[in-house]
Amino acid sequence: MTQIAEIPAYFDDRSFDHFAQAFTPWPPEQRMLIDARAAQWASPYGLIGILTAGQALLEARQEKPLFTVPASDDVRRYWARTGFFKHAAGLFEIHGKVPRVQTADDSDHLLDITPVGASEDVHQVVGRIQERAARILNTELGLEAKATMGFAMALSEACQNIVEHAGTSGWVAVHAYNWRKRLGRRVVVIAVSDAGVGFRRSLEATQAKRFGDRWGDAAALEAGLIQGVSRFRDPGRGQGLAGIKRYLSRWDGKISIRSGTARLSIVPKWDDDVPVAEQLPYFPGTQVQIVIPAHEGGAR
Amino acid sequence: MIQTIPLGQVLQETVVTPYRDLVTRPTGAAVRGWIQNAIAQSTAPTTLLDFTGVGLLDFSCADEIVAKLLLDTDPGTDHYVMLLGTREDHTEAIDHVLNHHALAIAVVREPGEPPQLLGRVTPELERVFACVFRLGPGSADGVAEMLGWTLERAADALLTLALLRLVRAEGGTFRPLPA
Repeated sequence: MTQIAEIPAYFDDRSFDHFAQAFTPWPPEQRMLIDARAAQWASPYGLIGILTAGQALLEARQEKPLFTVPASDDVRRYWARTGFFKHAAGLFEIHGKVPRVQTADDSDHLLDITPVGASEDVHQVVGRIQERAARILNTELGLEAKATMGFAMALSEACQNIVEHAGTSGWVAVHAYNWRKRLGRRVVVIAVSDAGVGFRRSLEATQAKRFGDRWGDAAALEAGLIQGVSRFRDPGRGQGLAGIKRYLSRWDGKISIRSGTARLSIVPKWDDDVPVAEQLPYFPGTQVQIVIPAHEGGAR
Repeated sequence: MIQTIPLGQVLQETVVTPYRDLVTRPTGAAVRGWIQNAIAQSTAPTTLLDFTGVGLLDFSCADEIVAKLLLDTDPGTDHYVMLLGTREDHTEAIDHVLNHHALAIAVVREPGEPPQLLGRVTPELERVFACVFRLGPGSADGVAEMLGWTLERAADALLTLALLRLVRAEGGTFRPLPA
């Protein structure tokens, strides 16, 4: 018997909970089949969410999950260009034809899907992305040149959270695309995901007592993102997320962090997301999405 | 005598990376260890951390290198640290982490210009700092006179600058840091 997780036709942060629902109860009692046949489009958040699911299942000593590739040739090629299949091969038993497409110098991909497990990986990610990020943020999003450095800093800090807190490795991807329906502007999206311990377990030892009955995934996210609390006693910790928030407030960006059964977002005026979503379907680890929109009138 | 430490070179010596970026806490801790070792072997009273040629500096690395270097400094030693060659994004990251710890540091600018202060420094302290730079070594009287302040107010501000290691205090004399 298998338990099926369907990839929504349009797979992004908004449809992610539908995907996560398929994994309850966690860990699944049966072998999982990730069915991507109907997929038409996936954001970097969606793509690395699939990889995170595969990684979490293997780390939970589950049978290697099955994966059926998208039916659409175009979608398969796009996913291949992001590096998705290269990483999925080790996590899933893949069914269907995987195109032999090299991860391309595609202008939409600032950073192909990249594993993050050590600080050397963060150096690689930051070093590789700066030139391309400068070009896209400046020419396509109409942001000032100094936005690039803040962008790379935000990326560095988001990736470091995996290395410092997850207890396992994770994934990062950065794409630029048009958010026609949601915003009517071009955006750059950083997606970071891991299958690790999540915010609640990371902060439980030091914060659970302080929050009392309120303690849970949402309270842990509040402690980490809003209050800048870290599991380390070192008073210098917690500045990474604070720095990301500062950068996003300057460039009108959005950060959303999902961990366990909750999601906390700092929502700019242009978005209609809720600040806190609780009692979501459980999903392992932590998923972060950072969105930098084009300057109004700046998108090309 | 001034000791200058080129952080771009230190990065290449401490971390195997083809990049010029000071990112991640382990990198910052390794670079700080190198700096502390170099300071311990030097007799220079002032160390300049030279950021020329450094690419990105993230908050974690800024915290490990600059904030923790200041936090680890023995308050009894007559040794001071200043910065050189920082870009705008470097100073933003350093300012952010120093504010978090209620610390401050001076960044050397053009010759003849007072250094730029980063971190937890009030506009009042900035005025006094600039005043010490222009007047040179002296007592609180000169600062009070130049700013039209009471002696007590000027002395309080000078002592705060000395505690932040932004001026050298010797008896009743306050000196700008040599740079």
